[in-house]
Amino acid sequence: MKRYLGVLLGVLTAIGGFVDIGDLVTDAQVGARFGWSMTWVVLLGVGGICVFAEMAGRIAAVSHRATFDLVRERLGPRVGMLNLVGSILVTLLTFIAEIGGVALALQLVSSVNHVLVVPFVAAAVWIVLWRAKFSSIENVLGLLGLSLIGFAVALWQLGPDWNDVLHQLAPTSNPGGESWTTYAYFAVALFGAAMTPYEVFFFSSGGVEERWTRKDIGVMRANVFIGFPLGGILALAIAGCAAEVFLPHGISVETLGQVGLPVALALGKIGLAVVVLGFFAATFGAACETGLSVGYSLAQYFGFQWGKYVRPRDAAGFHVIILLATALGAGVLLTGVDPIMVTEMSVVFSAIALPLTYLPILVVANDPDYLGEHRNGRLANVLGVFYLGIVLVVSLAAIPLMIVTSMGQH
Amino acid sequence: MTARDRYDVSLHLLDRQIVGAADRLVAKVDDVELTRLSDGRLVPTALLVGLPALLPRLSGLLARMHRLTRAAAADRDLPLVADLGLVDEVGSDVRLNVAHARLPRMERARAEDPHRLRVGDVLGIPVRCAELPRRSKVLDLCVVGVPGHAGRDDPHEVVALIVGPGRPGALLGYDRRSEPGPAVVAGIVRWLHRHARVVDLGPGVVLDVDAGEVRIERGTSLLPLRG
Amino acid sequence: MRRPWRTTAVAVPLLALLALAGCSVVSQPDPAGWDQSAQQALDDASGEVGTARLALRAAADDRTWSSYTTVLVSEAEEAAGTAEEDLSRLQVPPERTDAAATALDLLGQAAEATRQVRALAVAGRYDDAELADELARLGTALDQEALRAAARAERS
Repeated sequence: MKRYLGVLLGVLTAIGGFVDIGDLVTDAQVGARFGWSMTWVVLLGVGGICVFAEMAGRIAAVSHRATFDLVRERLGPRVGMLNLVGSILVTLLTFIAEIGGVALALQLVSSVNHVLVVPFVAAAVWIVLWRAKFSSIENVLGLLGLSLIGFAVALWQLGPDWNDVLHQLAPTSNPGGESWTTYAYFAVALFGAAMTPYEVFFFSSGGVEERWTRKDIGVMRANVFIGFPLGGILALAIAGCAAEVFLPHGISVETLGQVGLPVALALGKIGLAVVVLGFFAATFGAACETGLSVGYSLAQYFGFQWGKYVRPRDAAGFHVIILLATALGAGVLLTGVDPIMVTEMSVVFSAIALPLTYLPILVVANDPDYLGEHRNGRLANVLGVFYLGIVLVVSLAAIPLMIVTSMGQH
Repeated sequence: MTARDRYDVSLHLLDRQIVGAADRLVAKVDDVELTRLSDGRLVPTALLVGLPALLPRLSGLLARMHRLTRAAAADRDLPLVADLGLVDEVGSDVRLNVAHARLPRMERARAEDPHRLRVGDVLGIPVRCAELPRRSKVLDLCVVGVPGHAGRDDPHEVVALIVGPGRPGALLGYDRRSEPGPAVVAGIVRWLHRHARVVDLGPGVVLDVDAGEVRIERGTSLLPLRG
Repeated sequence: MRRPWRTTAVAVPLLALLALAGCSVVSQPDPAGWDQSAQQALDDASGEVGTARLALRAAADDRTWSSYTTVLVSEAEEAAGTAEEDLSRLQVPPERTDAAATALDLLGQAAEATRQVRALAVAGRYDDAELADELARLGTALDQEALRAAARAERS
């Protein structure tokens, strides 16, 4: 009984933790501009994160090596260093976006300007990362994040014409009449948002933190293969709500307030309140995950003690890095930069950085030295190579598309 | 790596996580010290740890910056040393049998000992050989033996070099072991390294670290990577 | 080992050129370029007017709380203002004087209407039917003008 509860808790937190500020903003933007025609990108991205998170989780469970250990071991110190710099920049950008997202969510409740809230949010994130237990961070915020299910309820209440939706599912339907380069740009952004590298840094390091062993592979797979796809459905519901409310009026989504507006129209105050709580939990949770990921990647590259499974005093360097990253994030946001813009940039740069993370995982997942009998089977390899190909194409296409479309402007 | 009596230094030892007593993470294997014995054999003797060991391997800007700051902190430019006798076991991590981070700093005399060299200084040095592509370098060192307790009395020495065009580390482990997949990635890496060869240390092979090159005489046997 | 130097020699001037190209103080677009910017600004403004209208409707039905509405409409006001400013700062090509007058007038109306919505929202009054109609009319007008700009850009 207890075991099943454990699995259930894991799946629920995986669902609630799936969506972050990047997903919230990008899903709603894409829904408002392209209707349901990018559903395939979300499905593709969810498939990709499942494939690689499962590999990273398996490596963590069997060999207790987290992702950045593998990066340096397989790519060597020089390429590993380039990778480290790139990944840290992307993760920091995401971290800044998440802190900004928390501030924006609080602004919707208090109407206090988000810039003024930022220092408090940053302080709260740091205190949680310093004091709270790893499992409580993951469970509490993951479960609260489930309140984003409000979007699915709202979509059902909005009552879309399902025939029409079915028609729009075709990738070529492009109901907003946007240009194809813009379409491609948003497809790349959406894919980047679904497969953000920090998710595997965090997932695999989390596995080491929670002392997974071979016995936990089953539970880990349940979390990944049930939790992530259900999280992907939440992402689709967010896009769907935007498609129902904004697409017919030609409104593009630029603020977090707009993301929640369809829920207000469909469900009223209570539904809106639930969803705004979801905004808060999802962004706060992701802020914790990205903040930890910055510390994880640096510590795993240089080899010093990391993790919340030891006392902060024993992982002092790790905690100092997190403190510095939080201060830096708050500092950037205090300049008044628009968190939504930071988010848009973070998902595109994530897309660029994807191969750096996923190639070493795929290689090591095949290494019997690390995994013994648990190394990749044929299916995992076929999917892994397929996704590696996609990830390479996406990564190469991202910068040209960003320039050609001026970040999706036209 | 238990039950293997041969390993490649760069692939199986360098850059691995070092774990001390009580499961504490200590550092990475930033470099490996080799000692040339009086009979000419080259044996691994210690793991080197810390920025003074890592930065020279990064080359480029960081290494140059490090060289500039070296003068300013003369006693800090030596790495910490974990003699191989402290190593319990090498798997996906390197287990030490000492308490957390009690490693001594290398003595200056040891650092200046002409019989000791670092793997990081050997990897990447050019190889002069008429039968190899001109841009060939040392990609890895093959060692017979087991680092650590288990093989304390067994022979433990560098027996061969992996040489070829490309960069150390770019083999990604697709070298000579049984078929690791995925076939596509393995195929691409092998194709990129189709000119890489294994050459046994012995007569005809001169590893001249001071001159920064390896000379291989014509006619020395060069084995393909997966023999 | 000399290669990094060569890469730098190519990359630095290229980057500098790119940076300079993006930094001229006043850009002088050709008519098609201006049409594109106009279409962009009109589309943006239309979206903001639409958002303000939806926000007002949700608030009138008591489906949001006041701070949410305030934040939503003040962001719409700001964005509508930005759209107007961005276009007005562009040098108008002589062929587009009339079109520019129309577009800027509409954009001005959009900025003003969203300002009014914000004022109402802050005052807690959401049931101004007249303003709602005005927003709907303005949205349609902006959309039509955007379509015209797009068609002009297409032709030239």
